[in-house]
Amino acid sequence: MRRAVLLVVSVAMLVVWVFPVLWGLVTSVKTERDVLAYPPTIVFEPTAVNYHDVFFGGASIVPNLVSSLVVSGLTTALTMLFAIPAAYALARLDLPFRRATGFWVLATQMLPPVGLVIPYFLLLRRAGWTDTYQGLVLVYLTFALPFAIWLLVSYFEEIPREMEEAALLDRAGRLRALWYVILPQAKGGIAVTLIFVFLNSWNEFLFAVVLGGNTVRTVTVAMFNFISLEQTQWGRLAAAAMVGMAPVIVLGLIAQKHIVKGLTLGAVKGGGRR
Amino acid sequence: MSAASVSLAGIVKRHGAVTALDGIDLDVAPGEFFSLLGPSGSGKTTTLRILAGLEQADAGTVRMNGKDITSLEPGARDVAMVFQSYALYPHMTVRENIAFPLRMVGVSNEEITHSVQEAAARVRIEHLLERKPGQLSGGQQQRCALARAIVRKPALFLLDEPLSNLDAKLRVETRVELKRLQRALNVTAVYVTHDQEEALSLSDRLAVFMDGRVVQVGTPEEVFSRPATVEVAGFLGNPPMNLLPARLEDGRATVEGSLISLPSLSGLGRREVTLGIRPSAVRIAAQGLPATVTMCEALGEDFFVDLIVGECLVRAKLRGEERPAERSRVRIELEPRALHVFDRETGLRL
Repeated sequence: MRRAVLLVVSVAMLVVWVFPVLWGLVTSVKTERDVLAYPPTIVFEPTAVNYHDVFFGGASIVPNLVSSLVVSGLTTALTMLFAIPAAYALARLDLPFRRATGFWVLATQMLPPVGLVIPYFLLLRRAGWTDTYQGLVLVYLTFALPFAIWLLVSYFEEIPREMEEAALLDRAGRLRALWYVILPQAKGGIAVTLIFVFLNSWNEFLFAVVLGGNTVRTVTVAMFNFISLEQTQWGRLAAAAMVGMAPVIVLGLIAQKHIVKGLTLGAVKGGGRR
Repeated sequence: MSAASVSLAGIVKRHGAVTALDGIDLDVAPGEFFSLLGPSGSGKTTTLRILAGLEQADAGTVRMNGKDITSLEPGARDVAMVFQSYALYPHMTVRENIAFPLRMVGVSNEEITHSVQEAAARVRIEHLLERKPGQLSGGQQQRCALARAIVRKPALFLLDEPLSNLDAKLRVETRVELKRLQRALNVTAVYVTHDQEEALSLSDRLAVFMDGRVVQVGTPEEVFSRPATVEVAGFLGNPPMNLLPARLEDGRATVEGSLISLPSLSGLGRREVTLGIRPSAVRIAAQGLPATVTMCEALGEDFFVDLIVGECLVRAKLRGEERPAERSRVRIELEPRALHVFDRETGLRL
């Protein structure tokens, strides 16, 4: 009985989640006429024309994919570079205001992004960094870093202190203890953090559309361009969405195991930081 | 490998308002197996961690071979430590674990292979080198931790309750082996334990810790047979020494309203004392202190008898004699030569 209920609930949830994706997938292989047909056609002749357009046509999103990759890749790399040492320090060193720092790092996440768009825009314009990669990456860092630090701290705290004490006595020194003993043990947490940061910047739209301008157009912004006042190109939009989603799905599958663990760990340990 | 001498002088350690160590002075001779024994929270592990350099003392100096190492980093001290939890690196194989301290100082691969093999052989885990710590039993993990500690041939070997996670049988076996290993390597060892049996059987000398102070240092025999304070007397022995308040006057003691004659103590004059007597030195006799038997517990050849004398509980360890019935009234005799006398006020041995 319980199994049956569980099954029904799971299937229901799956349908709710999968439906838009499937609808998008179906739309992406329909011609414009089939898309607009009413009632919706169930049986139709699939076409690859939307994908062809999206990759090779006048509105190719390939440059946008490259932009997204550059922005997300740089954001992820820089975030990890700064977040790992910061989280390690917060988890381990006896610094004054350690707890308060941990809280305020997280508190920056409480600001609504939309309230920050205009200040960021003004700041970047003054610096001459609107429409630039460095501008957008810098802004993404301000969101990604606190999140990554907060997530990583809980992973580092899980590792017994005796690990690095043993490494220190084994003459490793702080940095090598971190590199050889702590980081390998926090591998799962680092993978989760890395993927979350990458996905967040890959999927980001608001800041990209406002601050990226015409030079830095990420794939989310490009998708938006298939919607115009006169016409929405549903087929191409769906194809672009499918292409843009692909890396997300691949990463998700690779990291599935870690992500589930990471989510629950964050949930349990987030509030209970020492 | 040359064994180091170690000395602590005036070590003070505070955690906020709590004084964890209150002026520790200790001298450990080269090659000695030295135990820090005490109840939990008495400061023995903190002392060990200060020796290792994992914690800094608030005052006092740590010397190794006469050299001041008080502010030296752990890695610069030539000490190896076995942690209570073993602290094996879970992502490395046993071989990599043991090799780690050598890799960190750039020893050649060839030499590492050789040294790892030798250390593993010493603790008989050569056949487990390719496993991960998670695939080892508790005893094997403990050996792996030992091998990692001895592979670099340290001058000082620190052990923090290394046997406490093993089952009783393995603990006794490993104890013997640990001692043999220390002797074979001729290394100074400082060993923390709350298990007096371990401390008494392993140590050349030991220090008894109470409330952040060292209350007695000596060989196991000395500490056991001549406890310096009433606290040590009450801590050592299983079961520990019986402690009875008494009034001493002209070679006679008044214990719970009864007089016993103790001519050997006539030199102590007139004062309030605590008399200590080991359970094995209490006998049931025709004369002596009146007592009521509350419980009899057989332990193979011996049996323990709980007696109430006045308001005090006295445990006696008897052998071969007739077993007294519970709730019977008997008289007990305290063997005069086995009596320990402590000042009631200061707790010091008289």
